[in-house]
Amino acid sequence: MRHTRLIAGLALGTMLTAPAMAQDNMERLGNMQKTDATFTFIPQDDERADALRSIVQHINVPDGFEVSLYAVVPDARSMAVAPQGTVVFAGTRKDKVWSIVDRDRNRIADEVKDFAPSVTFDIPNGPCFSPDGFLFIAERNRVLNFPAAEFFFEGPDQPVAVVVEQGELIPAEEESFNHSARVCDVGPDGKLYISLGQPYNVQPREKLEMYDEIGIGGIIRMNTDGSEREVYTRGVRNSVGQDFNPATGELWWTDNQVDGMGDDIPPGELNRQTEAGQHFGFPWTNSRVEIPEYKDVPRPEGVSFVEPQLELTAHAADLGMAFYKGSNFPEEYHGGIFWAQHGSWNRTVPVGARVMFTALDENGDAVGAEVFADGWLNEDTGEYRGRPMDVAFLPDGSMLVSDDFAGAIWRIAYTGQ
Amino acid sequence: MKTALTLALGGLLLAGSALAQELPAGDAAHGETLIAKCRTCHGADGIAKLIIAPNIAGEPEAYLAAQMAAFRDGTRQNEMMSVVVKTLTDQDIADMAAWYASQSVVATLNADPSGAPELCVSCHGADGISVVEDAPHLAGDSAMYLAAQIEALRDGSRPSEVMNAIAADLTDEEIAAAAAWYSEIKLSVE
Repeated sequence: MRHTRLIAGLALGTMLTAPAMAQDNMERLGNMQKTDATFTFIPQDDERADALRSIVQHINVPDGFEVSLYAVVPDARSMAVAPQGTVVFAGTRKDKVWSIVDRDRNRIADEVKDFAPSVTFDIPNGPCFSPDGFLFIAERNRVLNFPAAEFFFEGPDQPVAVVVEQGELIPAEEESFNHSARVCDVGPDGKLYISLGQPYNVQPREKLEMYDEIGIGGIIRMNTDGSEREVYTRGVRNSVGQDFNPATGELWWTDNQVDGMGDDIPPGELNRQTEAGQHFGFPWTNSRVEIPEYKDVPRPEGVSFVEPQLELTAHAADLGMAFYKGSNFPEEYHGGIFWAQHGSWNRTVPVGARVMFTALDENGDAVGAEVFADGWLNEDTGEYRGRPMDVAFLPDGSMLVSDDFAGAIWRIAYTGQ
Repeated sequence: MKTALTLALGGLLLAGSALAQELPAGDAAHGETLIAKCRTCHGADGIAKLIIAPNIAGEPEAYLAAQMAAFRDGTRQNEMMSVVVKTLTDQDIADMAAWYASQSVVATLNADPSGAPELCVSCHGADGISVVEDAPHLAGDSAMYLAAQIEALRDGSRPSEVMNAIAADLTDEEIAAAAAWYSEIKLSVE
């Protein structure tokens, strides 16, 4: 009965928006029609899977934890675990979203195929679920909503509604390759929060005002139907990881900092936002480091910049993050934050490619970053075996780590042995 | 169309000879020691690791060197490359170009070559292997990268005497078709 109700609600919603989405198959899908789309399946037990499994021995985790290959997933980026826990959805910086299924619940995926193959995606990096099972996908310049995706993903033709039309997340002329990987989350207020990285290393001055208005170099929020859009966070360079503290409802997010100022500055950031509209300093500052291009540009009036909670290794690329809400891990991890460091791309000596952790103190502040898992960077040769991009948790409390370099999702579970 | 091609080739010859005089001779072995900055995106052997980076394996040395020099002097811009090349010397550029040019590559085309985009083949080949020293291989580059480059060449934000003229009149559909053709070719290092 629940399914029927959802479909009816969707059909009504999409009829209203159908004329505006006359591209690829969107119109047909909006009318609940079939298309000719077929699935791409990713083999889970071939030579590629064997090669990935041989990486597991290099990964270091604290005593009592165990690492395994959960799934072979090409280009795996941000992840969303469906409320029922049957399916994990992973975005990419290409044109696919993957559905990853563990039907027999042996904690190894048995089927990986593309989600909604009838839809043409463009950098669909960021999937996120609402608690009632709507899957949102934030692309480079569009946001879609797939009702009950956890149940409908088995078919190639998904019911879909448009939250933000193509070209309306940012002006089309601001589209770039870089800093276009969006992440999204549905907050405790039921609104959709979406990061909008600014496309430059440091944005040119003449774009400051326009970016500020749209929320480029920030995080925006809106109702899940796309209405009442507003800029929630200002002064961000390029955030590709966010989560709400389940204890307080506050939004935390990572940020990636300016290149070209040297190997050791500016530091990476983990930020805590306590109210709407706060400004975190960019492009005037990255943490306490002043950005030379903006030295002589007046700062916004009456605004004080919020300093990061943690200053992190420069250029290690702190990306996807998640609060630990499970109970499987030892108590010291409960309520703390895990995040992925993707690893540097142009530092003289590479750093990163690991999973980090911080606990929070009684004031809800971060205590300090520690390495939770590493070994994806071969320290002898400086070459990557993999590059962790995001972390997420299965209902059993174990951790998934997506890796867009190796093309895998790793699982880290606590066994106590 | 014929006129455009003739013009194009004339421009290439000029640009090629001018460049050769500017940069020192490259040392591939030394270049290999400098590629820590390149390989995360372009791979140690020049086969790209990211959709947003082109393959540079076996690329014509003159083209590679010219692009690095253009990023360095700001005539070509990219938020990643502009940062990476900033501190490179002429000798570094020559050596790195020599390293990647020394890779021997094979392109595998699984389609009838007569379907190749007509405007492109005289310089980039039907299989995406460059036939002139100032043009890049296109084989196996992502459609996203290729389309973005042709668009930038069309609107002039990526300056190129030759390509700006050729790309000027291309439609979005023609750009997408050319990008699709070359992206479907497999490039590997021997």
